[in-house]
Amino acid sequence: MSVQDHRAFRPAPGARPVSSAVSPWLRWLSEAVWFVEHAFERARADAKPEEDTRVRIVVIQAVFIGIFVLLAAGATRAALLGPGGGIGSATVAGALQRADLTDRNGALLATNIVHYGLYIDPTEVWDREAAFTQIRRALPQVSSTRLRRVLDGERRLIVQPGLTPAERQAVHALALGGLSFEPEDRRVYPLGTSAAHLLGTADTGGQGVSGVELAFNDAIRAAGAQGQDFALSLDLRIQGVLENELAAAADEAGAKGAVGVVADATTGEILGMASWPTYDPNDRGSAPEGAALNRVTSAHYEMGSVFKTFTVAAALDTGRADLDTMIDASEAYYIGNRRISDFHATNKILSLEDVFIHSSNIGTSRLAVEMGADTMRDYFQRLGLLDAAPIELKESARPRRPRQWDDSTRASLSFGYGIMITPLQMTAATVALVNGGVYRPLTLRRGGTAAEGRRIVTAETSAAIRQLMRANVVRGSGRSANAEGLRVGGKTGSANKLVDGRYDARHGVGSFASVFPADGPDDARRYVVFVLVDEPSQGSRLGGTVAAPVVGRVIDRIAGFLGVQRRIDPPAPPEPAA
Amino acid sequence: MTRNAVQRLFEWKVRGIRWIEIIGVLLVAVMILSVYVAKAAAARESATINQLERQIAETRQRVRLLRAEAARLEQPARLEVLSRGAGLAPVEMDQQADGVALSTLRPAPEPVLAPVEVAPVVVETPADAAPVGEGLR
Repeated sequence: MSVQDHRAFRPAPGARPVSSAVSPWLRWLSEAVWFVEHAFERARADAKPEEDTRVRIVVIQAVFIGIFVLLAAGATRAALLGPGGGIGSATVAGALQRADLTDRNGALLATNIVHYGLYIDPTEVWDREAAFTQIRRALPQVSSTRLRRVLDGERRLIVQPGLTPAERQAVHALALGGLSFEPEDRRVYPLGTSAAHLLGTADTGGQGVSGVELAFNDAIRAAGAQGQDFALSLDLRIQGVLENELAAAADEAGAKGAVGVVADATTGEILGMASWPTYDPNDRGSAPEGAALNRVTSAHYEMGSVFKTFTVAAALDTGRADLDTMIDASEAYYIGNRRISDFHATNKILSLEDVFIHSSNIGTSRLAVEMGADTMRDYFQRLGLLDAAPIELKESARPRRPRQWDDSTRASLSFGYGIMITPLQMTAATVALVNGGVYRPLTLRRGGTAAEGRRIVTAETSAAIRQLMRANVVRGSGRSANAEGLRVGGKTGSANKLVDGRYDARHGVGSFASVFPADGPDDARRYVVFVLVDEPSQGSRLGGTVAAPVVGRVIDRIAGFLGVQRRIDPPAPPEPAA
Repeated sequence: MTRNAVQRLFEWKVRGIRWIEIIGVLLVAVMILSVYVAKAAAARESATINQLERQIAETRQRVRLLRAEAARLEQPARLEVLSRGAGLAPVEMDQQADGVALSTLRPAPEPVLAPVEVAPVVVETPADAAPVGEGLR
């Protein structure tokens, strides 16, 4: 046992230069270690050995207790709060990148399905020739050059993305070495061409590109994270009827295009929206030219006489006319050198109702000229004819507006020329005119937007318009739209298109804007159906012939879905409401 | 006194080994064993849970697939073609009635006279046929 006084301890002379040479910190550390190491000897030298031992024991105990308390706390925390430890996991079960889209009744419109990318590692393929022929047989759509290149390469590469589970199974069953599959989430539209334009598409990154997918991108992603469906206002049954009838009519008429919209006049909800021709969003690349265009939101048309509803509504609402006002349509109406005549010439003095029913250009032109530019522009503005139709869809296009509002232009506007609007604008304006006079944005959200809406015409004007529309179907140009017992009201529209600077009768647009049921109180539940057939090439081009029958058939078939009761029409025209 | 009791506890030995240490070691052994058992059970449970979750995910995926497949088969255009092909058509107005109207509709089928026509025939036939039959006999 050493009796050396350790308070005067000095490390061996040889060690000192090493630590001091390396770093002053290292020297300090070694001195501290030596200090602790020799504390026992120091204490004994101070003649307090018991105290020293106890201090050591207490210190070591404290250190161990501290460590174990920390460990215990850590273990408790990991057990109770760690990921996957608790029952309520952080991620929602069934969370998706994008929610499934459904119609208002829960029928599936768009969903995400896991597809598989086929990868081949050529170094693990035994017989490349056999693999080539077998894969080609199982997957005829695989590009043979691509497959050959991957098989002859040296690295694992993708051969074909987007295999369906069935295709994957077919390849898997070949039991070839070196083949593997990587799951990838894909947006699928199981309805194919149905509602294709409306739904739009989403890219492989899960972002909406067009249609509803784009318009509600954030909401769809949020619903997907919650594992919920995203419901639209659409009713698939109505959509199906509309599409089928529209396609049949467009086909029969040899049309260039056709559109149809069904909207709830009370809430502004879109129940059906069809654009023809259509395409398969699952195979967008093969869509024919122009088929991917949503003609409801993005195509402009000079719509013709359906605008007479607006002119007459403006005249009624300003008090310039009532249903019995007589208007002279006995001879052509001249504005400067321009001669305005009637297509269905009556050559007599007509009441306002007859002007509407006989679709008199002279009558509405007189009204338009009399009401003046400001009034007419004000009403067109109120009806939303001068701005893009308010709806969630980003595709909703702005109209082509008239540059001036002189007498001649107003006369043209009064019967639907000189302004090109989208079918959606026409639907929104018709909705506002028949629902008691409140303009609401159209919506694709189930339940509507709950927007207050703004009053554009009085309830009396709205009732009068409904009465006029009903009369037009009972004994006017819209007879073929009559669906038995459903009190259909509507206005036909027929317009020629501007071809090479001239209005060409061979290129026409026939349309029909309708409401059903047209009777009942202002707040009754009613629906607006608008159909437009673009450039029918066979048979008549008039709206009453190409579009009105479609509306009649559609209404006849969808009334049951909407719960509209049939009532046998009174043989006589309905009593004036006002 | 207390101090003595504690001291006695520590001095309570068997073959030179303190009982307190033996008890301590036994307790630790029991604890280790129980922790092991609990951990093993938990691992088994969590494996089961994982398996179930995998099954749920697979089933959910299958449900999605089937739902998509059902939607594909119910394409309105496809259904229309099929039903037209089967000779089906939308129901006409005069073929429709609600529950309230049923009682008023009942007289309407009478002009068809199906039961009425059949009845006289049945009645008349034996009358006409009987002599023929008798004649044959």
